[in-house]
Amino acid sequence: MPLRRARVGRVGVIGAPVAKTAVVAKAVTPGPSPVAKTAVVAAAVTPGRGRRRI
Amino acid sequence: MTETPLEQLGPVDYVVVEFPAGASNFTGEMAEELVRLVNSGTIRLIDVLILTKNEDGTVDAMELSDIEELGELQALEAQLAELLAEDDVENLAAAMDPGSTAGVLIWENLWAAPFAAAARRSGGQLIATGRIPIQAIIASIEADEATATATEGA
Repeated sequence: MPLRRARVGRVGVIGAPVAKTAVVAKAVTPGPSPVAKTAVVAAAVTPGRGRRRI
Repeated sequence: MTETPLEQLGPVDYVVVEFPAGASNFTGEMAEELVRLVNSGTIRLIDVLILTKNEDGTVDAMELSDIEELGELQALEAQLAELLAEDDVENLAAAMDPGSTAGVLIWENLWAAPFAAAARRSGGQLIATGRIPIQAIIASIEADEATATATEGA
């Protein structure tokens, strides 16, 4: 299907070729589910649970 | 559609959601959730394209209006701004595998607009933004745990 005329000849907004995000690809790849680790992740982003070392 | 003054515009994001060949299972659930986000005022949908990357690497782009039965998306389609240009299609499709189909969504985060406007009025300038995938958080936690285990064992 052709794109609408309004999209042709305009300057784009994305700017450069987009690369597939490796970690996102890993998340949707069949295998051990990341869902099991949800509780751990939730704990990591819970307020007051500082783990920063700079 | 009501025009939003530039200084009141919320952050605009995009996603490319790929469906590998033979792996798509469209039940209408995604459309329902999208409509819910728009109707609740959480986001404003700006543009949607459906891309198909052929085995030879060529890309076909489909407008939302090209879909025969839009259902609840019909109302959203009428509000789209057609932000993406022809060269954006090529750039976005670079992430796709041959034989796959992908939905490209662009939206304004209405929930963040008041904060963004306040930041602009305060003289702030956005110098970095991004998304942290859950997998990256998991990797960070696992690295911490591995370090802790190694330290305990030493």
